[in-house]
Amino acid sequence: MGLAALGGTLYVLYLDRLVTRQFEGRRWTLPAQVFAAPLELYTGLALSPAQLEEELQRLHYRRAERPERPGTYRVAGARFDVALRPARFADETRNAQLLSIGAGSQGLESLRDSAGRDVPVLRLEPLLIGSIFPIHGEDRIVVTPQEVPTLLPAALKAVEDRKFDSHHGVDPIAMLRALWVDVRARQIEQGGSTLTQQLVRSYFLSSRQTLSRKVREAIMAMALDAHFTKADLMNAYINEIFLGQDGDRAIHGFGLASQFYFGKPLAELDLSEVALLVAVVRGPSYYDPRRHPERARARRDLVLKIMADQGIVTAREASAAAHQALGVSSRPAGAYYPAYLDFVRRTLRRDYHDQDLTEAGLRIYTSLEPRAQEQAEQALEHELTRLDRQRKHAQEPLEGAIVVTSPQSGDVIAIVGGRNVGYDGFDRALDAHRSMGSLVKPFIYLTALESGHYNAATVVQDAPIDVALAKDKHWRPENFTHQTYGPVPVVRALAESLNLATVGVGLDVGLPKVGEMLQRFGLPQPPAQVPAMLLGAVEVTPLEAAQLFNGLANGGFRNPLRAVRAVISSDGKPLKAFPLEVTPVASPDVVYQLDRMLVQVMERGTGRPARALLPANLVVAGKSGTSSEFRDSWFAGFSGSHLAVVWVGYDDDEPTGFTGSAGALPVWARVMAGLGTDSWDASMPDNVVEVHIEYPTGLRVVPGCAEDIVAIAVPTDAALPSKPGCGFPDSANPLTTILDRAQRWLRGLGH
Amino acid sequence: MHTRLLTLILIAAGLSACATRAALPPGAPPSAESPTGTAQPEPPIPGQAVPAPPEQPAPGAPRQFHLGPAASALVTQARTQAGGGEYGQAAATLERALRIEPGNPLLWIELGRVRLSENNAAQAEAMGRKALALATADAGAQAAAWHLIADSLHSRGRDPEAAEAEGRAGALAPR
Repeated sequence: MGLAALGGTLYVLYLDRLVTRQFEGRRWTLPAQVFAAPLELYTGLALSPAQLEEELQRLHYRRAERPERPGTYRVAGARFDVALRPARFADETRNAQLLSIGAGSQGLESLRDSAGRDVPVLRLEPLLIGSIFPIHGEDRIVVTPQEVPTLLPAALKAVEDRKFDSHHGVDPIAMLRALWVDVRARQIEQGGSTLTQQLVRSYFLSSRQTLSRKVREAIMAMALDAHFTKADLMNAYINEIFLGQDGDRAIHGFGLASQFYFGKPLAELDLSEVALLVAVVRGPSYYDPRRHPERARARRDLVLKIMADQGIVTAREASAAAHQALGVSSRPAGAYYPAYLDFVRRTLRRDYHDQDLTEAGLRIYTSLEPRAQEQAEQALEHELTRLDRQRKHAQEPLEGAIVVTSPQSGDVIAIVGGRNVGYDGFDRALDAHRSMGSLVKPFIYLTALESGHYNAATVVQDAPIDVALAKDKHWRPENFTHQTYGPVPVVRALAESLNLATVGVGLDVGLPKVGEMLQRFGLPQPPAQVPAMLLGAVEVTPLEAAQLFNGLANGGFRNPLRAVRAVISSDGKPLKAFPLEVTPVASPDVVYQLDRMLVQVMERGTGRPARALLPANLVVAGKSGTSSEFRDSWFAGFSGSHLAVVWVGYDDDEPTGFTGSAGALPVWARVMAGLGTDSWDASMPDNVVEVHIEYPTGLRVVPGCAEDIVAIAVPTDAALPSKPGCGFPDSANPLTTILDRAQRWLRGLGH
Repeated sequence: MHTRLLTLILIAAGLSACATRAALPPGAPPSAESPTGTAQPEPPIPGQAVPAPPEQPAPGAPRQFHLGPAASALVTQARTQAGGGEYGQAAATLERALRIEPGNPLLWIELGRVRLSENNAAQAEAMGRKALALATADAGAQAAAWHLIADSLHSRGRDPEAAEAEGRAGALAPR
């Protein structure tokens, strides 16, 4: 008897210790939260009133008569009055404040604070785009009691545990009553477990209800009740309880549930929304408001009725709330962006253990631009669906990947890892190693320009090539068209992606030089020194291709592409910054000349079909890539403010039948068109001059003099042969000069 | 009085030169800014009017970069932060400005100065070179970029190169 009592006491003490430890330790396991780039607002920002409203709604700001509560705004003519929420950025925190935005059709016209003073620049709060939760999948956003609307604990008590404030952890009468009610109503209306018991159950993940477990649960609940205040227990419950499932991610706590179902902070929920979350507590999958809206609605209305019966709200308020729609966002806040988060995780894994990321409550600030990300996702799906229809006999749907950057900062603003954007699986943007094909050509010509022996007008031979390899083997590359084009200027060889001309140039400058150039721009491994390298027998991932082209878009400066800007501790201390870095890797003069040729790719070469999708005046530069037998379709190109790389192909390396121009280019053009990007307009270096040449021959001409003219950039000291009778009057023969001019004048009249 | 007026006119000219960019015809690459040195620019074609938009700076015309109000406010904030020794914060603030005006050499120079204060001379020099590449036709900005490059070389004990960079700065805008 004495032994049994001792054993019982020890067991109770053991459970007491177990549950109090769990309770105390629980407060510290917080998955890292990941944020998108905040939108900077300033006068002159090219954002239409519709786009501004879209950005506010993305952050779940709501229209209101009077914007008094944070998270609301009013539109008065062209003016937006926005009650901004308090916000934590990587570098500062900001209190809630009122901002008046004058929104014109051309962009933002004014920003004023509540006192009417001009505000030069101000950020919207960053969108929460995900969190890094541990393997067992518990994700949560912890809220403090101040962030909890008072209706929520009141509703929880009314519906789940009416004697919460007075009982000692268990409520035997409620248990019996629940049993009685359940039997009579033949449905689960009252749970009988106190909130404290539910909390214990959640801690130890035991949903199976056996008698011994019930006893254990009851002892632990009483232990908790003895050690902690009711307020502490309520707060723990609000942060702990399971409220939904999203793939392998379990939604815990009302803070995250509010974001997950409504996309906004818990503090901003209204009565009907609070009631819906309280309804979901009883069965997150049975009452899932996205999958079973009618069930969820009936239960919400029941919660509202109970709240009115208990005098928490008036009958009129409850009835008004019951008439509201569920108001659940269509896309869970954080269907998240798995491919982007994948890159974030990999970046951080170099510096942090998994446990730091999943438990330490870090705040991770990234460069993701939600608008660009969504545009890119839609562009890929739209074009691949269209391309699939052209390949009627294909066994499987095409796949693709996209990386978008801001070239000057090296910010990666969007990553699409495949068509199934919500799927956290094979991330093609980071892991698909594919032959780069003709994407290598710009780097061959860059090497040639740097050597000083070539410029954009240099005539090269597009003629059969035979390279003797080991053991009597020969390499005889061909052009895409199986034709040869004879003498062509470099600008045309690149624009039309002529293989033979390019291989000739590459062999002349030397494979090691070309390989070294690729490495300078960021290729991680030295490419194999085989002639086929000149036609792109070099494997890169879309992200690596973006790194290479970013240096071209950034005028010969390489910056490490980065997704993460800063990591902040849970108490607001900066832990790690990933600052902007630039490294000069090629002369800006040479890169400018190359970029001007890449503009011609878009105007007259393989990039031309993009024109139909792009704004008429937009100047862009780029290069297509097709690997052997059409296994890979690439396009890499940039404007003044964005770089995008697109890959299209099959995962099993089957041929697609598409060139870079046919497969990846339309995706690329759709991405660029959707970004609202600026023209490429790099200023011409002092040692470079713009000249015009005849496109077929490379001979220098004066504009208006010949039929087929192209503008190129060459070094100021480049000696270019002129087209007879049409050229630049460099020889000082006054007669020919005058005749030339007269001839041109006559032609000019004809225009 | 006269000099003030002249300065005002120059500033106004500079502002208009870089505040506006002419729309390009479809497919046309950006036009040449200022071929200089031994280059022989194409002569105007007699009888054929070249329709140059009035706001386009004339070829060879100097220009002067300036900061927009948003970037200007951020630079002021960054200078306060750097003054208090908060270089990381100052750099983060300047990165905000650079996201708004990535092509403005003045911001790259500003960020390079912060890097130099942090003893990151390699990045300071790289940012000076980035600024230089952007600052075509703006002698003042080019000189400031060369000064930054010179200071970063000097801080690494590369005095002969620093002196050469300083010389280039001096030739552009004598102190």
